[in-house]
Amino acid sequence: MKDSLLAVARALAFVVLALALCGVIFEFAGYSAPEMFQSIADGAFLNPGAWEGSLRWAMPLFITATGVIISFRSGYFNVGAQGQFYIGAIATTFVVDFLNGYPAALVVPLCFIAGVAGGAVWALWPGLLRVRSGADEVITTLMGNFIAGLILIYVTGGVLKDPSGTGQVMASRPVAAAYRISSEVGLSPTIVGAAVVVGVLMWVLVNRTAFGVLAGLAGRNSTMVVWQGARMSRLGIAGFVLGGALAGLAGTIEVLGPNGRLVSGFLPAHGFTAILIALVAGLSISGAAIVSVFFGGLASASLYLPVLAGLPAAAIDIINAAIALFITARAAPGLGWLTARRRMIRGA
Amino acid sequence: MTKAMLAEAPTAFALQCRDISVQYGEVAALVGVSLAFAPKLIHAVVGQNGAGKTTFARVAAGIVKPVSGTLAIGGREIPTGNVGQARAAGVELVHQSFALPPSFTVAESMEFGAERGRPVFSRRGLEKRWQKHLENLGVRAGLRDRIRDLPVEAQQGVEIARALVADAKVLILDEPTAVLSPSGIEKLFERLKGLKASGVTVILILHKIREVLGVADTVSVLRGGRLVEGPIAVGATNARRLSASIIGVQAEKEIAADEAALVGATAGDALAGAAPAAAINAAPVLAMQRVVTRADSEGPGLEEVSLRIGRGEIVGVAGVEGNGQRTLVRVLANLVEARSGQILLEGKDVTKTPLSERRARGLRIIPFERNSEGLSLSSALWENWSARQLLLGPALRLINPSWYRNACDASLKEWDVRYHTTMQAAGSLSGGNAQKLILAREIDADASLIIAAQPTRGLDVGATAFVWRALRDARARGCAVLIISSDLDELFDICDRIVVMLSGRIVAEFRPPYRLGEVGAAMTGAH
Repeated sequence: MKDSLLAVARALAFVVLALALCGVIFEFAGYSAPEMFQSIADGAFLNPGAWEGSLRWAMPLFITATGVIISFRSGYFNVGAQGQFYIGAIATTFVVDFLNGYPAALVVPLCFIAGVAGGAVWALWPGLLRVRSGADEVITTLMGNFIAGLILIYVTGGVLKDPSGTGQVMASRPVAAAYRISSEVGLSPTIVGAAVVVGVLMWVLVNRTAFGVLAGLAGRNSTMVVWQGARMSRLGIAGFVLGGALAGLAGTIEVLGPNGRLVSGFLPAHGFTAILIALVAGLSISGAAIVSVFFGGLASASLYLPVLAGLPAAAIDIINAAIALFITARAAPGLGWLTARRRMIRGA
Repeated sequence: MTKAMLAEAPTAFALQCRDISVQYGEVAALVGVSLAFAPKLIHAVVGQNGAGKTTFARVAAGIVKPVSGTLAIGGREIPTGNVGQARAAGVELVHQSFALPPSFTVAESMEFGAERGRPVFSRRGLEKRWQKHLENLGVRAGLRDRIRDLPVEAQQGVEIARALVADAKVLILDEPTAVLSPSGIEKLFERLKGLKASGVTVILILHKIREVLGVADTVSVLRGGRLVEGPIAVGATNARRLSASIIGVQAEKEIAADEAALVGATAGDALAGAAPAAAINAAPVLAMQRVVTRADSEGPGLEEVSLRIGRGEIVGVAGVEGNGQRTLVRVLANLVEARSGQILLEGKDVTKTPLSERRARGLRIIPFERNSEGLSLSSALWENWSARQLLLGPALRLINPSWYRNACDASLKEWDVRYHTTMQAAGSLSGGNAQKLILAREIDADASLIIAAQPTRGLDVGATAFVWRALRDARARGCAVLIISSDLDELFDICDRIVVMLSGRIVAEFRPPYRLGEVGAAMTGAH
């Protein structure tokens, strides 16, 4: 626990470095960096009601990020959270749309099950391709994101299309009030409860079960656990499916909660921000809880900047990109590869 | 070789270093070593693992920069830690683990080992260019063969040929005999004597006294990074004296019984192991019956391998590396499929049983690759230690990590592992301690069959003696032990029985007293 918090602190130091780089970029672009950071801080945390907005974004991001953590820890680079999130949202919308009129006590649980199952299925096929035939999961899950995005366009423009829609935005019919789990604000006992339950369960899974320890070992050296008698295919599939299920759950929450309907191309960066959270948190669940609030704040600020401060929302994209850059540099697999390469050439 | 001959040597030494010290972090690898080698002789540098031999070779070749000291080649001082300068002065090093790119052809390896390769070349041009060179050295390898397809001995030949493409005056070989069969070693030594006759100074890093006495003109002994003695003419010393100075007086008592085997000073005969007490008649712990596997990237397939190991018996597998030993271990671990035949563990057919279940029945494996198959280096000690037990129950059961940490702590103390905390990464342990961590995990009260693959490779004398003691203790408790090693001294010392593998078959079986000549002949199929 202490170790993982230390790792988060170290990662946050890199975030500070990234912010410094962003400051330089802002200055060159003709904005005042201090003013920009002040506005971001205001929009994220300091203004009245800002915390509410930040937490609204933090909850689903945290849920998806825990899934990413499970998958990464077991050694599979499942970068398909975005697609799994979409499929979860789509499955939820199908259920809520076709069961419209049935009692909420039946429909809402079914929506959750559908979202979780949809996300899980969207992670299952790259998982099977990986463990059965060795297909690179980075490629397959990334492709899965594109396919899911296109399916989203297809269903919101087709079977799920809201006939009364304006035509400018393709979207499903609004979810009936009886099935909503939160208002537009996006913070409700159901959503906070779901995030807390997921957080606790995943923390226990990672830190207090045989699976968690073995998956951690497998993620760092799968050969070793194979020689101990573990079946990597099972561990791997479990990691994939769990990761997808949690991203799907976040999709359900967005549709039944703050969004209230399924919009074509909504939240296109959700899955990637979740990956960033997982990496900044050093693949620790407790760390991800803190880091999610930070990134939730940034997401919230990106809405605040153009509307109330008259500053470009792209500033938040720049910050996210810079953080991604520095976190990747910290891992520096390329550096190790380069030196090994040089050694080999020199020896020859 | 006599002292008089040494005195006649010209004053310009082929390679001379003065007061060399090398520091790796907090570890002093070499401390004030001064050595001078006369030209046109074969010099041996000996010592245990960790004595600083390889570091010395790397300093001499300009790969490692010492913190202090000077290096002179042929009487001319050159800057230390500069490979280019060292090579220009005529020093070439053949690494212990071969360094040629596996995907290169032999001709390509030669071309790009040359100091100034041409910017444009044709395949045929390359082959024409290097044909003669290889023929002169008596290396039998096709110029078009890829390095990875060559047998070990040919690979080493190509490595040496590569080192000699430039006008090498000093050739350093780091543990060249480790991968060779006894007859391959003889051929290597013939080749080195030929080089000596043609005016090359050879420096051999070795750890076996028998080999030193067989080929070298002078010998120098390193211990704990310091020069103990040398270079002295081999005629002026003997096996007893050398082994005493390699091991040192203090360690001697602890390992007295195994001393000869540890320094490779056995004449090759005798050494009867403790005879197993009528164990073989009882039902065997392991029985392999005509097991056949497919060949794959890691080695040849097994061809009708049958092997029985009884309770309280240590059986050794000898053989030149790459003759199916790895496949043998992998088929026992169910990591490669047996196409036909049967594997019985404690009388139960486990041919189709997954590894987890075989382990639950008492199978334990100390794998070949300590750092990849044995341990997850970036994971904590307690996680590495607990892995076997964690796999025994359902994956989702709740565990208490602090219980495992305490149990790991107690177990590692019992096995005399030197560490700071069970939370530290396994990669921070030294080779000997890392191996003890694996032993602590694999040798427990429930073990019935222990497979130890190269269990002492890279360990110093103390750690090696420790591993042997652990395996003998396991035998005393009634375990069956299968040990795979390329070190015949090791096998002769602790095995009750030795089988020899060649091209995926078991071709011979020996019982004590072992004779080096017979076992060596079986290893190369020359009997």
